[in-house]
Amino acid sequence: MTDLIRILIAPLVWLAAFSAIYGLHGLICGHGIEGAALGLPMQRLLLIMAYIVAVLLQATLLAALYHPRLASTSNFVSFVSHATGWTGLVATGWSLLPVVMTSYCT
Amino acid sequence: MNALERHRKLTAIWASEPGWRGWFSTVNHTDLGRMFLVTAFFFFIIGGLLAMLIRAQLATPQSAFAGPEIYNQIFTMHGTIMMFLFAIPTFEGLAIYLLPKLLGTRDLAFPRLTAYGFWCYVFGGTMLLVAMVLGIAPDGGWFMYPPLSGPLYSPGINTDFWLIGITFVEISAIAAAVEITVSILKYRAPGMSLDKMPIFAWYALITALMILTGFPPLILGSILLEVERAFGLPFFQAELGGDSLLWQHLFWLFGHPEVYIIFLPAAGVISTVLPVMCRTTLLGYGWIVAAAVSLAFLSFGLWVHHMFTTGIPHMGLAFFSAASTLVAVPTGVQIFAWIGTIWKGRPELRLPMLHILGFFATFVIGGLTGVMVAVVPFDWQAHDTAFITAHLHYVLFGGFVFPIFAGVYYWLPHFTGRRRFFHLGELAFALVFIGFHVTFLAMHWVGLLGQRRRIPTYAPEDGWTAINLISSVGSFVLAIGIGMILIDVILHALTAARGRRNPWRAGTLEWAMITPPPAYNLASLPHVTSREPLTQEPDLAVRLARGEGYLATPRHGWRETLTVDVASGRPDMHVLYPTNTLLPIIMSAVTGVFFLSLLLKFYWTVPLAVAGVAYLAWRWVWVLGRKEDLDALPMGHGITLLNAAMTDHSPGWWGTVFLLTANATFFGSLLFGFAFLWTVAPGWPPPAWFVASPVELGFGILGAALGCFAIGHAIVVNRRNGSPLPGLVLTLAGALAVAVACAAMMARTPSPEAHAYGATLFVLGSYGLFHAVLGALMASFLIARVLQGFTSPMRRAEFTIVGLWVGYLSVVGTLVLLAGHLPGLAS
Repeated sequence: MTDLIRILIAPLVWLAAFSAIYGLHGLICGHGIEGAALGLPMQRLLLIMAYIVAVLLQATLLAALYHPRLASTSNFVSFVSHATGWTGLVATGWSLLPVVMTSYCT
Repeated sequence: MNALERHRKLTAIWASEPGWRGWFSTVNHTDLGRMFLVTAFFFFIIGGLLAMLIRAQLATPQSAFAGPEIYNQIFTMHGTIMMFLFAIPTFEGLAIYLLPKLLGTRDLAFPRLTAYGFWCYVFGGTMLLVAMVLGIAPDGGWFMYPPLSGPLYSPGINTDFWLIGITFVEISAIAAAVEITVSILKYRAPGMSLDKMPIFAWYALITALMILTGFPPLILGSILLEVERAFGLPFFQAELGGDSLLWQHLFWLFGHPEVYIIFLPAAGVISTVLPVMCRTTLLGYGWIVAAAVSLAFLSFGLWVHHMFTTGIPHMGLAFFSAASTLVAVPTGVQIFAWIGTIWKGRPELRLPMLHILGFFATFVIGGLTGVMVAVVPFDWQAHDTAFITAHLHYVLFGGFVFPIFAGVYYWLPHFTGRRRFFHLGELAFALVFIGFHVTFLAMHWVGLLGQRRRIPTYAPEDGWTAINLISSVGSFVLAIGIGMILIDVILHALTAARGRRNPWRAGTLEWAMITPPPAYNLASLPHVTSREPLTQEPDLAVRLARGEGYLATPRHGWRETLTVDVASGRPDMHVLYPTNTLLPIIMSAVTGVFFLSLLLKFYWTVPLAVAGVAYLAWRWVWVLGRKEDLDALPMGHGITLLNAAMTDHSPGWWGTVFLLTANATFFGSLLFGFAFLWTVAPGWPPPAWFVASPVELGFGILGAALGCFAIGHAIVVNRRNGSPLPGLVLTLAGALAVAVACAAMMARTPSPEAHAYGATLFVLGSYGLFHAVLGALMASFLIARVLQGFTSPMRRAEFTIVGLWVGYLSVVGTLVLLAGHLPGLAS
């Protein structure tokens, strides 16, 4: 079961992050959050912060999957979990990139 | 014991009952896999005939072939049958037939569940066919968007047939998914570690996990829409706090993964058959596994790309557009791995290979048009045109039907034990390939010219006449091709000469048995040391027949097998299977009475059916188990194993884990729906909030905590040879406390008919109540088992299973109560 978790964890975290940030976007637009900080509108800032947290989480996870103490003893499981770990990181970076690029709530 | 004696003894133990009764009482996976496949192809023929009617209607402008009302039923049933009654059950049938053979074991994890799922599929599918014959078939399109499918615009029974019939059929999908997941993880030949699993098993595992997480949102949506239609709870009515977009979210949360649920098993067939046709091994096994896992997850991030025209903010569109383009990468990895396999091998253009080549051409085109519609501005232009219909047929026919035909021809000698004699198949393939591309290339074209999908007719001046005629002619060529394939297969099954074992010289274990396969699959179970055991040990089949593997000697008339550790493939449990029984068909019939009662609004029979299902479920579990401990038994090769009933993580525990995964997805979707309506739907805040009660909330949460603690205590005490009864009684009390709190919440919910807020709270409360009653029933069951002597410190498997359910109840009960009470307390 632990080996299965190693394989599934990174894409699962991507799915959670993707859903959470899409939900956050819905909340921000639905509840009309106002204000500004760091020279950015609060809505944009919140989304960017969530994006950074998601990317950092994936990067940490990937590092953990490579760490000898946490890596699987099976070469095959290690290989697949590294591949899915990279998938999670790239997917997070790419699919949530719109938070810094496109208009929100319009 | 010689091989023949062993064969006779094992056959006597494992065979289904003789005569007609055997059809209904069999729980054998080979029988049920065949029954699934034959039934699925029966529905494929019906769906195909409906497609012919669609093309007949559209062949000429202003056609009077069918009126709009009938035409609506035809295209709705075509889509519904192909998606729900053909594609998914074909996967289930193939997996049920093949997996134990590929994995080197004797049956699936829960044989009676296989049979129950099959009969639910048959009865649910029959309901839809009866509706069609009576002219009251669903007519709102296969994705049933409200408000069109709501009570205001579709007041007849047509839509109810879809909502109830499909939910009934989906029980089958969930049952099969649990079955397949546990079987692949636990029921493998000793030594078969994860890296030695046949690639089809990986695909089937991923698909089954996707079914467990993809189908619950649709089941929830169907329940909510049916409750709205039957009882007026307004989940999808904007003027009462509902939102029809909620349906689209729930539907496509299922609907997009569904595309990959259909494609991935077909990709598993390609990955299995292609290397054999190329006389080589699969290139990039690890990459393919990683790509399939990635594809499965990414597919859950695409659902909104079906909703690009619904007015969602640009950022939301961009998320899903980005994810939609990303999904092409793991698909591409698989395609290149297959091309590499062809490159390194020596391809032989035999019939399965022709279908694989047909798959390549068709699916790649479908994938590329998929990338086109993933781009938002293009989708805005092409949405709801025939271009989309053409795209989805390229993906589904290319990505499923061609590979399945390849699989049918590849495993036909296995199904029948015969070798091909008639060679209609090659000509049939040519007709199918040409007919398909003529039909659907033309449909892309007419879509780009502006023809909407699902229109019953068009005017001559639209300029679509010639293209539609070409498309219709192509579709009839396609139909003739498919008809010829069916004739070829039937002639083969009935008349061809006996063939030799393993005609393709494949390396996987399904060819290590006599064909057609015996009821027990393998006379003894192999020890696997390679991904292609037959290539490594060409005489393996003979050695297994001689009894040189595990469990070679039948004993006590038991149907027995062993399970393995998930990762390493080390043997870990001995399993005794139940034998043939009518219980699954009876239980599915009673389940059918429940659904039929809802459909026909005979509400007085609903509680009777529920009680019937509860009684049969009780009996289902009661007949298992023993009143004495079993010693560890020899399995062969010097290994002894404890029986699964004497472990904490028995197959039932594993099945429960995955069933609860599906259940949690259902509950998560319900919470998502609640949050979505609250946040996005117009007509909020509701006219009245639920009046919170700290007493009710505290009572319920205390009950949930008590149940959780008490079952844990009972498990520990039982293991230490103490009496678990006090703990179980407290578990029962905790479950009942949650039930009372949830019932009180339902009773005090603001009028569920007046606003979606009350309606959603009512459904949340019902969910909590249902699980509390279930938890109470399970605790009562366990008390009865303890009193009757079915448990002991050794025979403890049932405790951990109930523990999982009660733990789940504690979590969802608490969340339900918090969702109801917290807003009131906060205000």
